Amino acid sequence: MAKIIIDNQELECREGMPVLRAALEAGWDIPHYCYHPGLSVAASCRLCLMEMKMPHPKTREMDWAPKLFPACQTPVRDGLEVRFNSDVVKTAQESCMEFFLLNHPLDCPVCDQAGECCLQDYSYKFGRAESRMVDPKVVNPKKDIGPHTLLYTDRCVTCTRCVRFTREIAGTGELCLVQRGSKNEIDVFPGRPLDNPMQGNVVDICPVGCLLDKDFLFKRRVWELTGTSSICPGCATGCSIRVDHADNRVYRLKPRYNPKVNDWWMCDEGRFGFKYTQDNARIIKPMLRRGREETSPSWREIPDIVRFRFQDHVRASSADKVVAVLSPFMATEEAWLLIRFIREVAPEAALAMGPVPVEGEPQAFPCAPPGAPSMPDVKFTILEEKCPNRRGIEQLLEVSGGTVLTFEAFSEQAAKGDFTAAWIVGGYPKPWVEKDTAKLGSKFGLLVVQDLFENKLTEAAAIVLPACAWVERDGSFVNAKGLAQPFERAISPPDGAMRDGQYLFEIAGFEGLYSGQRVRELMAEATASLTEVYEAPPIPAHAH
Amino acid sequence: MKNVGVDGSTTLKVYESRGGYVAARKALAMDTNAVVEEVKKANLRGRGGAGFPAGVKWGFLPKDRTTTLLCVNADESEPPTFCNRVLMEHDPHQLIEGTIIAAYATRSQVAYIYMRGEFHEQFHVLQKAIDEAYEAGYLGKKVLGTDYALECYIHRGAGAYVCGEETGLIESLEGKRGQPRIKPPFPAIEGLFRRPTVVNNVETLSCLPHIMERGADWFTGIGPPHSAGPKLFCVSGPVNKPGCYEAAMDITVRELIERDDMGGGMLSGRKVKAVFPGGLSMGVLTVDELDMKMDFEDPRNYSLLGLGTAAAVVVDDATDIRLVLRNVARFYGTESCGQCTQCREGTSWMQRIAQRIESGAGRMEDLDLLLETARNMGMMPGLSICGLSDGATYPIETIVKKFRPELEAAIRSQPAGQVEAVLQAAN
Repeated sequence: MAKIIIDNQELECREGMPVLRAALEAGWDIPHYCYHPGLSVAASCRLCLMEMKMPHPKTREMDWAPKLFPACQTPVRDGLEVRFNSDVVKTAQESCMEFFLLNHPLDCPVCDQAGECCLQDYSYKFGRAESRMVDPKVVNPKKDIGPHTLLYTDRCVTCTRCVRFTREIAGTGELCLVQRGSKNEIDVFPGRPLDNPMQGNVVDICPVGCLLDKDFLFKRRVWELTGTSSICPGCATGCSIRVDHADNRVYRLKPRYNPKVNDWWMCDEGRFGFKYTQDNARIIKPMLRRGREETSPSWREIPDIVRFRFQDHVRASSADKVVAVLSPFMATEEAWLLIRFIREVAPEAALAMGPVPVEGEPQAFPCAPPGAPSMPDVKFTILEEKCPNRRGIEQLLEVSGGTVLTFEAFSEQAAKGDFTAAWIVGGYPKPWVEKDTAKLGSKFGLLVVQDLFENKLTEAAAIVLPACAWVERDGSFVNAKGLAQPFERAISPPDGAMRDGQYLFEIAGFEGLYSGQRVRELMAEATASLTEVYEAPPIPAHAH
Repeated sequence: MKNVGVDGSTTLKVYESRGGYVAARKALAMDTNAVVEEVKKANLRGRGGAGFPAGVKWGFLPKDRTTTLLCVNADESEPPTFCNRVLMEHDPHQLIEGTIIAAYATRSQVAYIYMRGEFHEQFHVLQKAIDEAYEAGYLGKKVLGTDYALECYIHRGAGAYVCGEETGLIESLEGKRGQPRIKPPFPAIEGLFRRPTVVNNVETLSCLPHIMERGADWFTGIGPPHSAGPKLFCVSGPVNKPGCYEAAMDITVRELIERDDMGGGMLSGRKVKAVFPGGLSMGVLTVDELDMKMDFEDPRNYSLLGLGTAAAVVVDDATDIRLVLRNVARFYGTESCGQCTQCREGTSWMQRIAQRIESGAGRMEDLDLLLETARNMGMMPGLSICGLSDGATYPIETIVKKFRPELEAAIRSQPAGQVEAVLQAAN
């Protein structure tokens, strides 16, 4: 650790990191555009300039050098003394902000970025109140640069974060800077749109309203949104994300900094992958089926109905004829509750892992140029395993003991009629019931299916319980590397539905409200190894 | 410039017959450090504009380096400068010889000559000379029969002012967008292709054969001690004999314009109104300041940035200073690379203000605004990545400060309501 002094205050920080990052993380609000901790240093916006003490060329005495230094480009070393609170620095910041706004259209009322815009914030904090620009502004064009993204170059501050992202993180390099001087603008190459699996991040890192997400465009003012910490369920990477929602509706997903998993990034598949949660075809009511008669009991009756039906069944046949199929989309806590219930009513019940969806190959970024070997320094990976919690469920199955089956083994045995009662959990965003699985519906005397959408199994089930999307639940997922991470509930389930955790909590015999934290405490009493979760440290709001 | 004007001066035969490549032979027989020491002793200051001592620059190279690259800055793009052009056009072998000496002294394996895109004819002349030098064994695997190997390539730029800045040149040479790099690392540590790199101007290298041949003492004997050696001066504008002249650096601006063997005085009926003595970027002199010495130190006493390229352009009394202001501002407005905010926005703002003043719709406060913008672009070192931002502010600042009465009179004589009408039409 090195000790440095910023504005007369001592600060301990890691040697070699940029002074700007050290200051930001310690709470200083230093204006900056081009610097992003995940990208190379450009030092071109000249907004984070500071004064630094250096030995006088003649006397060798330490004094403020008659020069300004970009804080982003100055590495921390022991004994360094810098200041941002001097008049020179403030004048430089003010004049720099004036330069930034010269050609800016000031169209905040119709700009999506308004409310989370660094031009707005910095102008307010570091700028001047009125413009001295009387001449016509340089108006650069608005461009459609790809399937998901718009580029309003008239709002651009030329920080080149987006250009560096496509080169250094995505490795695809679609974006570039064209023209010179104040006419310069970000652009794509002719016929090569911005279209890569990571492109959504350029919108996140754009400090102004220049790069815009078509999906979110004009949908909602950002100050009306509430952000909830969550984990992306799109693949087994388990990126930390923020769910931005308002009026019980999710509007967008944004990556959340997590040094152990995703750094500052997320992929487009995850980013735009929440649409299924808003599908009107979702199952929203519990359903009971006797022959052809279908009823919808109230949620209050459900725990007893389920419990009695299973108890009756075990009495009538045998406890080892019961099976629970867990889904890799369940939270660890929910799965634990279900296992607890099943093993309580039928101690010899078998447990099985539901199908693990796999698509294609893992994609590592930065991706290598065509024909070249893969890049040595992987910054982000999209996994082929398209579910969030296979590892968590597997760990649970391991510690639960008893008969544990793979999905194939379960299917085989179920087809032979080895099981008479089954609880099958779905919760897959995409159709998952294959032909062979569909045939199993008729093999059980008692079938409980918990799922998002109707399918051949729900049609055959005696009891259908609606599953909720992850934004409506809370709990934890264990990613492919074995890291358990909690996610919070962002919105309520659709009218009529109940959170899986809540009804499982009640079915398992607990009273009161379910919460991931509460179940983790209960789990700790049974199996300590499963309950440690990692939460990424929050970064200050001004250190974006 | 001894070979300029000699018949066939571009050919190897004529160059050799006039004592060519003797200095290179002498240098290659010496220890590389001895060559560096000789150049340090000669106090050869860079002729590209900044005047940094070439020997000291070479000394920044890491001692334990394995590869070194030499870049020859032939991107002469400062208006109205043409001394490098004269050297390449008429005496290409002198440049090649200088390049060999510098490359040997710095232990460079490759020399890249980065040539301004507009130099078509000069390119062909120099390329032909390089081919000749290869054939004669001055370049290639065994330079002058020794074990020293040197490859030499010409790279032609696309005509951007900023590529004359040494790190802009390096970026451009690497095939990237030509814009200056952030320093550190300095090119001597990590330059072209991330290798230790030396960048020297054409004229600087052209001095080397003479230093090697006649010794450092001969070189320092010419001109004042801080500005040693002969220097090429360009004179252009309404003078009788515009052109490139060689002299010691104790010459004044007035001599440069009026001496018979140089500018030869103003065209009949014209009077000097202003002179940009060191290329545009150094700033302007009034008619009362013509006794300024054209060396590396004196220009600072006249609130100029430095000697620059020592290319004087004369503005005569028939020229409206508003036109000069607009022309200067337009140059920087279109040539700023756009990387740093201050330069990108400042130059284009000054351009628009100057344009408006020139069109007869200036406001008194515009003059202060120009000064303040210039100050905000360069009030302190470090505001921008390269020095060209400072270079853009000096001419504007000196024009406004030194010709303020004329500008104010012009603004005062505008018809009433003109400003409002223009602003309304524009916005």
